[in-house]
Amino acid sequence: MVAEKAEERIDELRGVAREIRFQIVDMVHEAQSGHISPGFSAADIMAALYFELMRIDPKNPSAPERDRFVLSKGHACPVLYATLALRGYFPVEELKTLRRLGTRLQGHPVAGYLPGVDATTGSLGMGASQSLGIALEARLTGKQYDVWALLGDGELNEGLIWETAAAAAKYKLGNLVFIVDRNGLQTDGSCEVVMPMEPIDKKFAAFNWHVLKMDGHNMPEILATLRAAREFRTGPVCVIAKTIKGKGVGFMENSLEWHSKPPNDEQYAKAVAELRGGQA
Amino acid sequence: MSVVKAKIATRRAFGERVLQRGADDPNFVVFESDLGKSSQSNLFGDAYPDRYFNLGIAELNTLAAAAGMAAGGRTVFVAGYSVFLTMRALEAVRSFICYPKLNVKLYASHGGLTAAIDGVTHQGSEDIAFMTSIPNMKVLVPADSVSARAACDLALATPGPVFVRLMRDPLCEFYPEGETFRIGGSKTVRAGKDITIASYGDIVFQALEAAESLAAIGIEAEVIDMYSLKPADTASVMESIGRTGALLVAENHQKRNGLGYELAAAVLKNHPVPFDNLGLDDCFAESGNYFAMIDKFGFSGVKIAAAARRLIAAKREKTLMDFQPARESIRQ
Repeated sequence: MVAEKAEERIDELRGVAREIRFQIVDMVHEAQSGHISPGFSAADIMAALYFELMRIDPKNPSAPERDRFVLSKGHACPVLYATLALRGYFPVEELKTLRRLGTRLQGHPVAGYLPGVDATTGSLGMGASQSLGIALEARLTGKQYDVWALLGDGELNEGLIWETAAAAAKYKLGNLVFIVDRNGLQTDGSCEVVMPMEPIDKKFAAFNWHVLKMDGHNMPEILATLRAAREFRTGPVCVIAKTIKGKGVGFMENSLEWHSKPPNDEQYAKAVAELRGGQA
Repeated sequence: MSVVKAKIATRRAFGERVLQRGADDPNFVVFESDLGKSSQSNLFGDAYPDRYFNLGIAELNTLAAAAGMAAGGRTVFVAGYSVFLTMRALEAVRSFICYPKLNVKLYASHGGLTAAIDGVTHQGSEDIAFMTSIPNMKVLVPADSVSARAACDLALATPGPVFVRLMRDPLCEFYPEGETFRIGGSKTVRAGKDITIASYGDIVFQALEAAESLAAIGIEAEVIDMYSLKPADTASVMESIGRTGALLVAENHQKRNGLGYELAAAVLKNHPVPFDNLGLDDCFAESGNYFAMIDKFGFSGVKIAAAARRLIAAKREKTLMDFQPARESIRQ
């Protein structure tokens, strides 16, 4: 009975992730601008965080004790906007205003524009560093919130990431979790060709972070790993999520082309049919 | 008001004030990048270790993490050298502190050539250009310890980001205790009718020296301390040049995009008068004695007085200043 319930919940979360992906394609098609595939690789993780793990209340988006989320890979913001809308932070219809003049859905996320956005991001590395400050604030005030930051794997090229990693370990920030969206591709090509960062796990471990790994598209594994990350409280945790860029729409998967390309009407119809029709 | 030799630098006065304010305001914190002694922020750190964060020699992380800490409204001072705070971490200051209008207060020692002896890598000779260019940023440059303490209070009382440029070495004291300052204000520190000299920070004292020597030959220069560079009190400058008919700006900074450029634009729009500006002429300085340096690069009291005399001659002949090509002799 309990197992059945858990299985049901997993299915619900998978459904949420599919809906997030649909909304991403829909808004980027409407705007004819924006990043689809960097959001697709993170959609399952976002569903798990916002619909299961984070202690948040969309009706009270500024609650002092709420868990914080920082999208350090800020270009993937359609995934954040879709998740926030579906979770009830603002109307889903507003997603259609992405990148339009006067919109709250800026090209990269801006704190204060939109309920639920905890940090202004878009310049890689800067979100991770801000998440350190947000976590230090909790330490100073004794607040019990956790800080989740989602990083791109290409983003690890930034020297700032490693300044942040050293400082988070210095302050033993047990309330800080980095999730690295390891989809293996960055703008100019394969991450390991553009700038080899492996072994990523050993690098974070050498900076005195607790390191976990997971399949970023396997919902039970995501839940189990991120829960384990929250059980570890003596220092910062880095979760390396193996993902597929463009996951969910066949012709977008593992393709550099779809990093920041909007779909035309035909591609949009094909993507929607796949997302609506099958398992993503 | 008279000019007397200072016992402490403005960085020290500012650091002492941060320490004092720490006692009655338990909410603000101080971040720095391993320059606690040099910025004098260690005065606060020694008294309040729990509210003091040395993020190591990593200015970018220090500023971006300060943005994170300030995200919920907290005030964060970030102490360091002007050159590193404004250049190494410029993007964090612009996009993640000024854009969201956070209460981050940049406590910037070694501004301009006040770090003359350390050489170009440690001189913040473009700091004002960078900081005044960013929306939401306010910029203060106190000349002495009374105004430095006031700058600390203004930074704390003013919502949003504030940049305060401070000096490495003790120069002069000028303002009496209790003198009041405001964001967007200025002080006419000497009245005159023949020419207006606008300056800020350490060069205010050079301007006063110049005014003294000009007085000896019958020229009465009005000297304005533009301690608030952004917003700048252009109204007071306009009022002054309405009476004097000439404006000279002298600053310890690149000429380009400094106070001279700011006031030149205002003068040209509102009330064109003979105008000149002194500062680094699109060149780098070098290591050396501070006083020798500001003379060599053209903004000592002697050089200010000479420029004032040229301007007054132009005013009398009703001509604008001749265009003078950059002085090749002091270019690198």
